[in-house]
Amino acid sequence: MWYHKPVIDEELLRSLPNLKIVSSSGVGIDHLDLKLLSRFGVKVSNTPFAVSTDTADFGMALMLASARRLVEGYQMAVSPDTEYFPGNWLGVKVSGATLGIVGMGTIGYKVAQRAKAFEMKILYHNRNQRNKEEESAVGAVYCKKIDDLLQQSDFVMLAVNLTPQTHKLIGKRELELMKPTATLVNISRGLVVDQDALMEALQNKVIRAAALDVTYPEPLPRDHPLLKMKNVIITPHIGSATEDTRRIMMQDMAESIEAALAGLPVPNEVV
Amino acid sequence: RPTIDRELLESLPNLKVIANSGVGVDHLDLKMISSFGVKVTNTPQAVADSTADMGMALMLASARRLVEGCQIAISPDTEHFAVDWLGVEVTRATLGIIGMGSIGYKVAQRAKAFEMKILYHNRNRRKMEEEQAVGAHYCEKMDDLLQQSDFVLLVVSLSPETRKLIGKRELGLMKPTATLINISRGAVIDQDALVEALQKKIIRAAALDVTYPEPLPRDHPLLKLNNIIITPHIGTATVQAIRMMAEEAITNMLAVLNGQPIPSEVV
Repeated sequence: MWYHKPVIDEELLRSLPNLKIVSSSGVGIDHLDLKLLSRFGVKVSNTPFAVSTDTADFGMALMLASARRLVEGYQMAVSPDTEYFPGNWLGVKVSGATLGIVGMGTIGYKVAQRAKAFEMKILYHNRNQRNKEEESAVGAVYCKKIDDLLQQSDFVMLAVNLTPQTHKLIGKRELELMKPTATLVNISRGLVVDQDALMEALQNKVIRAAALDVTYPEPLPRDHPLLKMKNVIITPHIGSATEDTRRIMMQDMAESIEAALAGLPVPNEVV
Repeated sequence: RPTIDRELLESLPNLKVIANSGVGVDHLDLKMISSFGVKVTNTPQAVADSTADMGMALMLASARRLVEGCQIAISPDTEHFAVDWLGVEVTRATLGIIGMGSIGYKVAQRAKAFEMKILYHNRNRRKMEEEQAVGAHYCEKMDDLLQQSDFVLLVVSLSPETRKLIGKRELGLMKPTATLINISRGAVIDQDALVEALQKKIIRAAALDVTYPEPLPRDHPLLKLNNIIITPHIGTATVQAIRMMAEEAITNMLAVLNGQPIPSEVV
C-alpha cells in the first residue's frame, strides 16, 4: 500500500475474506491498525532497510540546506529584484557543530555515520542505549534524558518511529529547552512534533529554524502559517524518493506478497 | 573592493600587505602588486570546512531535488504529493573531484561517509596515504573522471589554465545522468556551453554557488532552467567562517608588519 490508501478498516477487511497480506511501502506502519489486521489473520510487511540510506542522506540534505539557508539563497540568486549579493548574509556552520539524534535506529545510525565525517559532535537519545562498539564507531554520546540532548545540540534530528510514546514528543517544553541558535530537522513523522508549538517557537525565535520532510497532514492546508515562514524548509515527504530505492522497495514488497501467498515465512513481516 | 590597480598602489607608498579575506586571489594582479613590493595573503584555513560543506549541501540538494520539492510543498496549487516524483541517490554513487586541494580533500572526507566512490583529478597526485584515507582514485586524465562520475565537483582555483576548464567537450563526456557542482569560480565553466548542455539534457542538472558575473543578469538563460540550483556565492557565509577569516587575515597582516614568517602568503 502507498500513501495510506486505501484506508484499512474493519469494513474493508470484511469485504476481502481472502486477503492474506498487506504489504506497505516504506518503514512506517503508524497508519495501520495492527491489532485489527491480526484479528482478521492478515499479515503485514514493510520495507525497513530499503529506505534507511536515502532517508539518512535526506536528513543530512535538510540539515545542510537549513544551516546554509540554501533555499533562501537560491531565491535571492534567481529573483528578478536582485541587483547584488549582500555581504553580511550568513548561515550557521555544520562542520564541528553538535548534532542530537532522537531515535538511533537504522536511519538514525546512518545519519550519525555521515555526520561524523563533518566532525560533528554526536549526541543521541533512544529507548535503549547502543553497544559500546556502535557508539565509538560514530563517536556518539548517549543522553538518557532527552532534555540533555536538547540543551546541548545545534541541530536536533528526529528519526524515531511514530508510536503513542513518540506522539508530540517535541512540544513547547522541548522546543524551549533547545538553543535559540538551534535547528530542528524532522525525517520521522509529522505527529512527532506539536506543530502549533513549533509555529510559535519559530515565530518567537525560540529556535533558529526548522526543516521538515514530514508534516501532519501531508500536504499541509494551503493557508497554514508554516508555509510562509522564511526560517522553515518543507519538502513533500521525499526521504526515500530515489529511483534505485523505489525499485528495491517494489521488489521487497513483491517478495513479501509472494511468500505470504505461498504460505512461506514472510520477509520483512511486522509482528 | 577597492579594485587594486596601479593608481591605488602608487597612492599608498607605505602599503606592506594586502590581506585577502577568502582563498581565491583571481581578482588580484599578483605580478603588478609584487612589483610594488607589496605582499599578498589569503585565508585558506578559514574557508575550507564551510566551502566543503557547501559542496556537499549543493550535491545533496540537487540529487534529491530539494529546492523543487520545497516549491511543491508550499505551492498554493499543491493538492497532494505525487508518488512517482523521484531524485537520484547520493550514497554509493561516484563523485569526481576536480581540484584536490584542502577544500577538495575535505569534500572527499565527507563523501566517503556516504560510501561514495571517489575519483579525483589534480595538477599533482596526492600521497598514497592521503588517497587511501578517503578511498580516492587518481585520474591523470580528466576525461576518465568525467566519463565515470555521477557527480562532478569543481574545486580548483581560477587561473589561466582552469578558465573554461569545463566546456562543451567536457560536458559532452559526462553521463546524461550526471550532475555538475561548482564551488570554485564561475569562469571555470563555459557558461554558454552549460546552458546548452542543461537545455538539451546532455547532463542531468547543475548546482552553482559561483557564476560569472555575480549576480547573473536577470534575463540570463541559466535563471530560467528548472534543472539548476544557483546560490549567491555563500560558500563561506557562516557566522563562524567569517570570524575565522578575519582572524586569519589579521594574523597574516601582523606577521608581515612584524617581519615574522607569514602563515599564508600567496606567491
